[in-house]
Amino acid sequence: MARRLRIRLDELKTDLGQISGFELQVGRIVEEWEEPEGPTPMPSVHQLRDWDHILLKRYKPVYLPFCDLCCLCTYGKCDLSRDKRGVCGLDMAGQQSRIVLLACCIGAATHTAHARELVDELIKKYGRDHPIDLGSEVFLEAPHMRLVCGIKPRTLGDLEDALDYLEMEICKMLASTHTGQEGDNIDFESKVLHVGMLDHVGMEIADIAQIVALGFPKADPEAPLVDIGMGVVDQSKPVILVIGHNVLPSTSIIDYLEESGLYDAVEVCGLCCTAHDITRYTRRAKIIGPMSWEIRFIRTGVPDVIVLDEQCVKTDIPLEARKIGAVVIATSEKAMHGFPDLTDEEPDKVVEKLVNGEIPGVYIHDPERVGEIAVKAALKVAPKRARFKALPSVEEVVSQAKRCRECYQCVRACPHNLPITEAMRAAKKGDISKLADLYDYCLTCARCEKACPVDIPIVTLMLKASERKFREEKFKIRVGRGPIQDTEIRKVGQPIVMGEIPGVIAFVGCPNYSYGGRDVYEMCQEFLKRNYIVTVSGCAAMTIAMYKNAEGRTLYEEYPGVFDAGGLVNVGSCVANAHISGAAIKIASIFAKRRLRANYKEIADYIHTRVGACGIAWGAMSQKAAAIASGFWRLGIPVIVGPHGSKYRRMLMGRRENEEDWYVYDAFTGERVYAGPVPEHLFYTAETKEEAIVMAVKLCMRASDTTKGRQIKLTNYIDLHKKFFGTLPDDLHLFVRREADIPITMKEEVLEFLKKKGWKERREVPNPTLLKELVGKVR
Amino acid sequence: MMRAEPWQTAEVPYVIKSMPATEARRVAAILKAARRPLIVVGDRIRTYRVGDTDPLDLVLEIARAVNATVNVTGPLIVEVRKRGYEKAYLMPLMEVIDRLRDPEWKGHDGEGRYDLAVFIGFPYYFEWVALNGLKHFAPDRGFRTLTLDPHYQPNSTFSLVNMPLEKWVEFIKEVIGILKGESK
Repeated sequence: MARRLRIRLDELKTDLGQISGFELQVGRIVEEWEEPEGPTPMPSVHQLRDWDHILLKRYKPVYLPFCDLCCLCTYGKCDLSRDKRGVCGLDMAGQQSRIVLLACCIGAATHTAHARELVDELIKKYGRDHPIDLGSEVFLEAPHMRLVCGIKPRTLGDLEDALDYLEMEICKMLASTHTGQEGDNIDFESKVLHVGMLDHVGMEIADIAQIVALGFPKADPEAPLVDIGMGVVDQSKPVILVIGHNVLPSTSIIDYLEESGLYDAVEVCGLCCTAHDITRYTRRAKIIGPMSWEIRFIRTGVPDVIVLDEQCVKTDIPLEARKIGAVVIATSEKAMHGFPDLTDEEPDKVVEKLVNGEIPGVYIHDPERVGEIAVKAALKVAPKRARFKALPSVEEVVSQAKRCRECYQCVRACPHNLPITEAMRAAKKGDISKLADLYDYCLTCARCEKACPVDIPIVTLMLKASERKFREEKFKIRVGRGPIQDTEIRKVGQPIVMGEIPGVIAFVGCPNYSYGGRDVYEMCQEFLKRNYIVTVSGCAAMTIAMYKNAEGRTLYEEYPGVFDAGGLVNVGSCVANAHISGAAIKIASIFAKRRLRANYKEIADYIHTRVGACGIAWGAMSQKAAAIASGFWRLGIPVIVGPHGSKYRRMLMGRRENEEDWYVYDAFTGERVYAGPVPEHLFYTAETKEEAIVMAVKLCMRASDTTKGRQIKLTNYIDLHKKFFGTLPDDLHLFVRREADIPITMKEEVLEFLKKKGWKERREVPNPTLLKELVGKVR
Repeated sequence: MMRAEPWQTAEVPYVIKSMPATEARRVAAILKAARRPLIVVGDRIRTYRVGDTDPLDLVLEIARAVNATVNVTGPLIVEVRKRGYEKAYLMPLMEVIDRLRDPEWKGHDGEGRYDLAVFIGFPYYFEWVALNGLKHFAPDRGFRTLTLDPHYQPNSTFSLVNMPLEKWVEFIKEVIGILKGESK
């Protein structure tokens, strides 16, 4: 392995003098690794451009502009409508792809900066030689790093070289969005895929670092179940709420509580991915819910101290905290919220300033110091807030509702067009049930409040009306287990590639759902019942925990946490998404024995043509979600988003009727063979959960499916299509290769349909590839 | 509230914006003038129900009056078939948008391009971006779009304006009346 030799001396005292902060880097040294290096170690975008163009020829951008203008430089604003070009020369297609690239750069930079901070801090605490040990069942520890960088990391220090590469490449890709750089929409799209690939390496580094250093579960299918929901918090104790994605400040809170014997005296709970990760650190922490629960929970008035780290933290939380008398501790230089930096001040003095209201919040950049301040502040603030009542009485709700002018500005501001005015009209008459009905669909974005001309606190009124509902929110979620075991991959690799396990479905991403979270739960349940492997992460993993079956059990209590048919695998926080794509890479390496090291194109081609997997990001909202999705695309894995996902501005879609697009090479003979539109799309917005379910099932079909595998996949496709749409799918003939593919119980009906379509049998392609250069070289 | 401005207040900006169709006879004329109209119906049309008036029935009445092909994007296709409308097809919104951009697409029945695509029943923002895709990337000026939701959609060629549901039902019934020759 090629890497730098680093020597760092923090403090050296000798007879000759004193040296501090000395760091020396000497070239690179070569480390032994049994696998020969592939063609693209640490690739630049041009090295994988041909692969990108193969994908983008099949899956063409379908643009959905969010705006007719470009306003990124002072030549503008430029009108790009229809065929016009801006002053810089860019047209609408190029501009849309450019904005997608910009979003992905933001996302990848965010994950990579997060990874860098974790690695730096953990090296400081545990040393550069701290081993990368992901447990006895994980030998292929870093599939993305091995695949992209050609690095097999053995210690925390080994992660730094990959980070150097990511930072350089993301910077280059960001530069290409500058005025007067890239001008071709397809080359912009190639860069989008490049950034997505980098993003998954960054996420992998972040999660590996925290798992090995902080003792998180290591690929454990039986990771424990923990509490989730607004009703799980013990309000009799001082409450510390942690929000964000970087777990280090939260771990210092846990450590301080344990060291000072105060654990039973203080409640620690979390929102968003920090909540996932704090429960990976200790089972005693609790999860409140996904990002959309931030304002919801704070408005109940429960938290005494709010600790903010980074990413997806609503920036008006300091204002919300002030309304309930809670104090805020900001811990990330990426989001300091205007608070004074008191990192170096005596903790007791900082606490005093917070408690007596001298400052509303504080910025502490050393995560190690956060614990003591947060705990001491919570213990002092809580008694002062004991009588504080955040939610109004029912009478106050009615009185506030009477101020409503029924101007509909709230409805027009609501992303979901929720019937807020009707709920207010009923509340005026004393009926608050319609306000409570909003709770299940509301994202608590609070745009309605900002639009209200008479400043009615609509969200607070809705919360009061829903008080019983949220107090009963008590559920169980399985703690994020991290990577997939090599042994699990050995067991399921063949049935996945042959199609006998009908697919791997990943529910990932944010909670920006168009019709509430129940859709995600119901989709997840449908796939589990049908023996798909279901993996989950981030806010989606939390959402599916918040519904119960008739016996009162959540899906996590109902289904095992194994990576196998019918398993529900919570990998963890956002950065743990790398383990989902990593599992696909592992299948190519462990099951198919393909060379992994710096061999991106071959592995991506293998995954695209053989691994039946599909991501569903039903509430995707962020730039990080865009980057995550693009990392899946470059591996040839399709992603479906919910209606809000259309705002990402472009889809990548195939056309099933264009036969020429769906030919592959037989890797044995070199013959070009029609394989059908499998998978048909790479990025796709679905309108309803029914459409998403049927589409995901279809997108799990692959050219390599055996007859038995295709039968199983078609059984699901036909059955679900009939269930939701009442008929056989109209494109069924494109997916039946031979009569033997037809599910036995459906044979008569399907054959009759195929006859009408003029269908003819065609050959299977057991060894498909899109890469001509692989013909005759791989099995 | 009868205004030709985006229903969702933040759904701006645009350079080319839809012509507001404030009169039922104008809407009827647009529909009648089409040689090959396609009506694309989304799942949210269910939310336009007022009392006993089912909005799907209204749309199918329009379709019958102008012999339009109906493209249903989701589970509502079952209801459309139950009502016996034969020129109905199932295709998701993203796929139909992709094909409407394509000058080579001959339509669901293979008989040729549609010259008018009518949209109704999608989340506002979703319809907004889908229509904007057509506004910029549909191939020629002979192709037009019309939205029949009770909201102004700035990215179609023609759009109704913002109006309360009760008013909208009256308006659509008036359009149907004109199409059937029952009123002027």
